[in-house]
Amino acid sequence: MRDVRPWTYAALFGTLWGAIEATLGTALYLSKLPMRGTIIGLAGLLCLVCLRRLQPRPGVCLLAGVVAIFLKIFTLGGFYNGPIIAIAVQAVSVEIALTGTGGRAIGAAIGGFLTLATNPLQMILKMWVITGTEAVRAYLRLLHEVAAAIGLGSVRPEVVFAAAVLGKGLIGAAGGLWSWWVAGRVMRRLGKR
Amino acid sequence: MVGGGPRHATSREAMMKRIGTFLLVAATVVVLFGDPVYALWAAVVAVAAAWIVDPASVRTGFRFGIVLGMVFAAAVTAAVVAWAEGPARGVSTGGMVLLRLLVLTVAAAVIVRSVNAEKLLRATERFGLNRLGLVLGLALNSMPRVVEAATEVWTATRVRHDGAVARLRRLPGVGEVLLAHTARIAEEAAAAASLRGHSALTRRSNELGLPIRVVVVTGPSDGGKTNTVTGLSSRLQNDGVRVFGFVQPGVYEEEQKVGFRLRDVATGEEAVLATRGTRREGRYGTYFQFFDEGFELGRKALQRVKPGSLLVIDELGPVELRGEGHMPAVRDALAVPDLIGAVIVVRRHLVPSLLAELNASDAIVIDVEKTGDRAADAVLEALRF
Repeated sequence: MRDVRPWTYAALFGTLWGAIEATLGTALYLSKLPMRGTIIGLAGLLCLVCLRRLQPRPGVCLLAGVVAIFLKIFTLGGFYNGPIIAIAVQAVSVEIALTGTGGRAIGAAIGGFLTLATNPLQMILKMWVITGTEAVRAYLRLLHEVAAAIGLGSVRPEVVFAAAVLGKGLIGAAGGLWSWWVAGRVMRRLGKR
Repeated sequence: MVGGGPRHATSREAMMKRIGTFLLVAATVVVLFGDPVYALWAAVVAVAAAWIVDPASVRTGFRFGIVLGMVFAAAVTAAVVAWAEGPARGVSTGGMVLLRLLVLTVAAAVIVRSVNAEKLLRATERFGLNRLGLVLGLALNSMPRVVEAATEVWTATRVRHDGAVARLRRLPGVGEVLLAHTARIAEEAAAAASLRGHSALTRRSNELGLPIRVVVVTGPSDGGKTNTVTGLSSRLQNDGVRVFGFVQPGVYEEEQKVGFRLRDVATGEEAVLATRGTRREGRYGTYFQFFDEGFELGRKALQRVKPGSLLVIDELGPVELRGEGHMPAVRDALAVPDLIGAVIVVRRHLVPSLLAELNASDAIVIDVEKTGDRAADAVLEALRF
């Protein structure tokens, strides 16, 4: 790679992503608002898809993820393992999806799907690390009881979980396509289309 | 003996820190994956180890709010497990959660306090990841500019749009503008890196840099780049300097650019290079249809270059930077020995790519918008005429 632009673009878009994570992300984390993971996930997705459309080189999304993690740790955000794992997963998901599809819109949709669909899985993993297997089982049973209380007693906890994964993934896929469209507008604005 | 005291103290301290770090890692592994029976001991060891490594980290990790959070999380888990499995299991699981959180918090506090940005940058250098180090350094340096750009964009939105709903509706637009700003800052950073040689940001090339003086003329579209180099060429030719190469004046109809012609600066011969059509008719992803006769004349003009002359190329675009179009002939022309210099016209956003492509790290870039009427003089000055 002789052109320096993939590096500077990855640095700058990673900076933007890291700045959003450190400010908006921290504010949302502290506010405990619902859907905060989805909001911040979509912001990151927008940065990554735009970066990849402007610099269609494999690896730029991974580098931007490293930059965002670096800034998240060493600025306002501090060391919260949840967001750091989420950034890493998101960068890897979008990179794989866009590289695998040759940098097409479908890749952005798949990247978006993977980004948000893994959120509930990350939550379970984090819960397992902190509370252990027994507590995770108890939480799933609690979820089942709540489902029964609202008339969904016959639905198994795994199905509820799978539905949550699918629902989040579909929001992510829509977000990925929207990011693709916004990135196109950015390219037109910069005279690159 | 007296002189060896402090050194002994330092090495003992380092040894203790190493032991402390090992114990902390071991305690974390035990509390996460080991038998719950040993969890209490692991937590005690972890706190003691953190105290040895960095006493302040224990104080940081055990602030009132954090401890309260840990107790709350453990209590909620205990309640849920007690409801599902019985009170005894609830208490034991709650206790386990508290110990896990305690060890993880103290380990995180030690990591945060012992690793800083500077150390990380030094580590990237030590492991031969210089480019990653530069990228992280650029990110740290650019953070204030990105935040400033975001503030400006948001201020503009607040001024233009009254009310929270109207501003929220504009959020996608705000994002678009901010992303475009970020891309522009990245372009500037790339240009700066290119002008500084950027050898650490790019793979080292085996080629030597261009042995001649390269002046890059850039500026906005229709900003006077071609007029500058055309005027300059005539001026130098009148002074007896041999100038070779080509210029590409635009062809206009009703003030609209409808194409380009290519003119050999040595002979004045002209040929059609491109005409504007539809996107479908265009080549290389542009609206322009290109003609072989234009490329042919450009190739001939570049073949005329002689030692001791000045090379003028107006202009190189994305097609050339992909190695197509005029580029093979440009490379041959630049290889002619003893050239006075080369004046190359390129659009602003292509400056970094051009410098990287030609390995011309010491090139002088002249922006016609900034120099105005003095552009030609600035080029001559850069060529040391």
